[in-house]
Amino acid sequence: MNGTKMGVTPSQTIGPFFKFGTEWMASEDIVSQGASGAIVLQGTVYDGAGDPVPDAMLEVWQADQVGKFPPDTTEGWTGFARRLTDADGRYVIRTVKPGRVPDATGELQAPHIAMVVFARGLLKPVFTRVYFSDESDANASDPLLAELEDSQARSTLLAALEDGRYRFDIRLQESSRGPETQFFAFGE
Amino acid sequence: MASGIILAKPQTEEDPPYNHPQYKSTALRGPNRSPLIIRPGLTELHGPVFGESRIRPNDNDLTAQHPGEPIGEKIVVSGQLMDSDGRPIRNQLVEIWQANSCGRYAHALDDHPAPLDPNFTGGGRTMTDNEGRYRFTTIKPAAYPWGNHPNAWRPAHIHFSLYGTAFTQRLITQMYFPGDPLIDSDPIANSIRDKKVLARLVSAFDWDLTIPGTALGYRWDIVLGGSNPTPEAI
Ligand SMILES: [Fe+3]
Repeated sequence: MNGTKMGVTPSQTIGPFFKFGTEWMASEDIVSQGASGAIVLQGTVYDGAGDPVPDAMLEVWQADQVGKFPPDTTEGWTGFARRLTDADGRYVIRTVKPGRVPDATGELQAPHIAMVVFARGLLKPVFTRVYFSDESDANASDPLLAELEDSQARSTLLAALEDGRYRFDIRLQESSRGPETQFFAFGE
Repeated sequence: MASGIILAKPQTEEDPPYNHPQYKSTALRGPNRSPLIIRPGLTELHGPVFGESRIRPNDNDLTAQHPGEPIGEKIVVSGQLMDSDGRPIRNQLVEIWQANSCGRYAHALDDHPAPLDPNFTGGGRTMTDNEGRYRFTTIKPAAYPWGNHPNAWRPAHIHFSLYGTAFTQRLITQMYFPGDPLIDSDPIANSIRDKKVLARLVSAFDWDLTIPGTALGYRWDIVLGGSNPTPEAI
């Protein structure tokens, strides 16, 4: 407006006791079973001891199959899902692979889902991106993946196809479960 | 490759750090590597849109969700949700959850031996109006002890969950009450190093929000960072 920025409200942890306030929206899938192109995205959240995190809340947000967002999507499309991890730190979401959308400079990106994870012990959330390991051509030309010099970090962003489902684990720190997931912060 | 995706400076540097030794749970859960700062793509510049249809009557009145009246001090908590340019965030979902007037959560794992209130669950939600305003009627939560360190008590607080117009603006935080002596010794509140920034989490007592004979009023405005470069323009 006049160039003066308002002081931004800082983050605080979600804490351990959020279930009764947040679970009302935590069971909806992005598409229903049997929907055309339906895929299952699932995984486990791990801490730095390699233990599952049974009290995390994660959310995903994505374009539809042709790379559109509301309001330019078909009736009923939300593109959003929330999950509370179960006692074994797991989540499962039924969705579709999103279409390719451009980055801020107009370059086309590989299909990916945006993800944010909250938990007790996280004073601010972690943001990451779920890419698909079976999209090697698109992944090879993705501007962000191309910039990731650390190939181990790059590998943490790829959901692996296992038994017809995509597996994407989130490791908050490096442990016996693997390297720390590549997390992102956003600049402008 | 010089696509300009990787940037030097995050949108906001005022958030607490991932690793904050005074808050013990960060030790195994806060990432050890710094997040890579990137220019958000089209996905992150959009965000979920929630319809009014998800909200039921009394979702924003936590004192009216059960047959009886909850125990405690009835309060109104209201304010405006804005982006960092001061633009209201309209018709967007605001969720809260909190302990009851004895400091106990309606959560299976909360073992604080304070009474549960059969007339209070402590979860609420609402949509902001055309000026970005929200309003809840609830019960003032009490402080509660926790196991972080000897004689540790959380200051009274209400957890808030907020969405902007972009996924990058997603925020979960806690609102505190003015004059609470526990704020100064709370490791979670003080994970925010700058006292002026921490002060943004403290609501203000507001006569205009009080309901005579019924409820005291607290005003708390919320500003989401990561301001969107006007999604319409993308
Ligand atoms: Fe709490």
